[in-house]
Amino acid sequence: MTEEQRAASDPAATDERAEELRSRLEEARAEAERYLNNWRRAEADLANYKRRAEQEREEMKRYANASLIINILPVLDDLERALGSLDARLAGLTWFDGIRLIARKLQAVLESAGVREIPAEGQSFDPRLHEAIHFAEGEEGKVLAVAQKGYTLHDRVLRPALVIVGKGKPAAEEGQASQQESQSNG
Amino acid sequence: MGRAIGIDLGTTNSCMAVMEGGEPKVIPSAEGERIVPSVVAMSNTGERLVGRPAKRQAIVNPENTIFSIKRLMGRKFNDPEVQRALKFLPYKVDAAPNGDARVWMGGRSYSPPEISAMILQKLKMDAEAYLGEPVTEAVITVPAYFDDAQRQATKAAGEIAGLNVLRIINEPTAASLAYGLDKQGEKIIAVYDLGGGTFDISILEIGEGTFHVRATAGDTFLGGDDFDNRIIDWLVDEFRKETGIDLRQDRVAMQRLKEAAEKAKVELSTLMQTEINLPFIAADASGPKHLVRTLTRARLEQMVADLVERTLGPCREALETAGLRPDQVDEVILVGGQTRMPLVQETVRKFFGREPHKGVNPDEVVAVGAAIQAGVLKGEVREVLLLDVTPLDLGIETLGGIMTTIIPRNTTIPTSKSQVFTTAADNQTSVEIHVLQGNRPLAKDNKSLARFILDGILPAPRGVPQIEVAFDIDANGILHVSARDKATGREQKVIVQPSTGLSSEEIERMKREAELYAEEDRRRKEEIELRNQADNLAYTAEKTLREVGDRIPAHLRGEIEDKVRRLRDALAGQDITPIRRAMDELSYTLQQAGAAVYGQQAGVGQEPPPGEGPGRGPEGTVEGEYREV
Repeated sequence: MTEEQRAASDPAATDERAEELRSRLEEARAEAERYLNNWRRAEADLANYKRRAEQEREEMKRYANASLIINILPVLDDLERALGSLDARLAGLTWFDGIRLIARKLQAVLESAGVREIPAEGQSFDPRLHEAIHFAEGEEGKVLAVAQKGYTLHDRVLRPALVIVGKGKPAAEEGQASQQESQSNG
Repeated sequence: MGRAIGIDLGTTNSCMAVMEGGEPKVIPSAEGERIVPSVVAMSNTGERLVGRPAKRQAIVNPENTIFSIKRLMGRKFNDPEVQRALKFLPYKVDAAPNGDARVWMGGRSYSPPEISAMILQKLKMDAEAYLGEPVTEAVITVPAYFDDAQRQATKAAGEIAGLNVLRIINEPTAASLAYGLDKQGEKIIAVYDLGGGTFDISILEIGEGTFHVRATAGDTFLGGDDFDNRIIDWLVDEFRKETGIDLRQDRVAMQRLKEAAEKAKVELSTLMQTEINLPFIAADASGPKHLVRTLTRARLEQMVADLVERTLGPCREALETAGLRPDQVDEVILVGGQTRMPLVQETVRKFFGREPHKGVNPDEVVAVGAAIQAGVLKGEVREVLLLDVTPLDLGIETLGGIMTTIIPRNTTIPTSKSQVFTTAADNQTSVEIHVLQGNRPLAKDNKSLARFILDGILPAPRGVPQIEVAFDIDANGILHVSARDKATGREQKVIVQPSTGLSSEEIERMKREAELYAEEDRRRKEEIELRNQADNLAYTAEKTLREVGDRIPAHLRGEIEDKVRRLRDALAGQDITPIRRAMDELSYTLQQAGAAVYGQQAGVGQEPPPGEGPGRGPEGTVEGEYREV
């Protein structure tokens, strides 16, 4: 109380006190601004998080099987390789027909899960779907042969088809020229 | 204003991350991968390809496929490093008029920053598609040994890609940020980065939030690919010894070997042995040949021991430059996929005499750190609010002494929740709200926090009044409970201070007991619920007789009265079997009566059957679950 009286009687002290209050108000305002800002960010974060979580749940549903399927594909490859290199002595056995049916069943299961084979042989080489592992004489830019089949799950490439791509006629200068060029760098 | 992302622009692969909800998050590419190959190509059809598709056509289009551009960034053509790189780069590199190295692709020359910009542009586009908003700013990482020209070139690449480069930071610094090592005072940090094709060791000194690079060393031609090649060599040799066939002549077989070798390497980081199983890998006159080998972790470690050992030379060199002994290093961080290998971790641990940090995915740790830096620069990493959770369920006692949870345990506070309850008896004018804390299903086993009465409820049949009970826990852990009669607006509240709650020992004890008695509690709760149902059924039967009794045939009416009496008798007893039997009998007769009434009058004027609310309880108890919120 005495302090207030003194403050009232002393203009300098009043100014000082006003100044102090002003700066305290300033601080409080700045703090409020900061909190409001953080709050807005937290709300925005939550909104974004919800949206993303929803998106990811959808993705998850669609591609949940992808990692399992990717590991099953080599088994299918091997089975197809086995069937493809069939010995004539075995071909007639009904036992072997059974094995063929098993392979077909596996394919059907994968297909029903949304797995599709990527068309490759005879197509134009497309690096979004095909992976080139070799060059060979043949129509330029076309897939001449498939070394390993590629597959998509829904609209995503699970694994590209490994293909051999044509590089044009054997006499074509182009292919050789570029090879020399790359060697000349070495 | 767009988002800011962190980008690890690597020699072989790049990775990006963003701060989201205060946490760094790796952004997958449009192809759904967490890393993008740092490859750019001009296809034979004149299309520009970036990332995975560019890599897939590299073999058939080598002179127009640019990889390892980072090795040329900001360097002159006559730089020894550039000359060394030329030996394995199949595309054309020459000197620009100013002496800088430049590359040729699709018949045009490009500066290295232009090529890097194409990679950054793809990352930017994929990030925008993922985030659903524009990305305008980025923090990009570079190796600690990059000089000013190389940093400028990297920055220029970002700008060409349309990114405002907030900052260029060192890769080891980013890795340290990802582990939060910037907040722990002065320290010496060693960052051991063994990637796909290069090895880097950096010694950092950190203090007051600043990073100082004390020394760097490395081997620009040592990486995970060398490890894969050792396995491939071994498989090829073994197969030749066994069959005489050289698989190197068969590209398809080599492709299969490469995939199998990498898979085996990855598996041996967690397993002690794995099988490499490649049937029909080749064939000769005698028929198909299969390659089946078991590879143990020990055998793999023998194969690559010298490669791992080779990383220690640069480590010694860097320490020497920094003027430090290994034991003066406070923290060791592992970066790069190859550091997942236990032998690498063990070697690093022995060399520095301490356990390396390895919690963050080593392929992503640099991008994660860059994203954190971007977040800090953009003010997105705000002061951390420590949020508490409620350790035990909070709820009220309902009919039959059951604990009805309002706020379940482990809910982050502050939070609030409400639920509507109703009365348990006709003309009940007051309810008691008994606030409980604990995980046991029965009220008496939990801790009582408070009790209060809400009165002045207008007389009405049971189940009609709506009493909203609201729980609110504020940021200080103080619980506010209120009960409000929706019809009259009358309200009562109580505030429970956290001090009247439980000590942490009590909480632990209660959690233990809840587990211990779970089965017994469940049985007791079931019994109470059955009794509530039985009581409700009797009540319904009596009400039906009262309201539409005149339309029920006399013999059924008598039967119902009789069976209600028997059910009430059963309820008075201890055994639940007779209760169940009496309930079945009564509901059967009630159905018959219902059919008779409907038969007379096709349902007109019938009141819908009363809700699921259980039966009558001791006066004043809130009846359970007349849920509508």
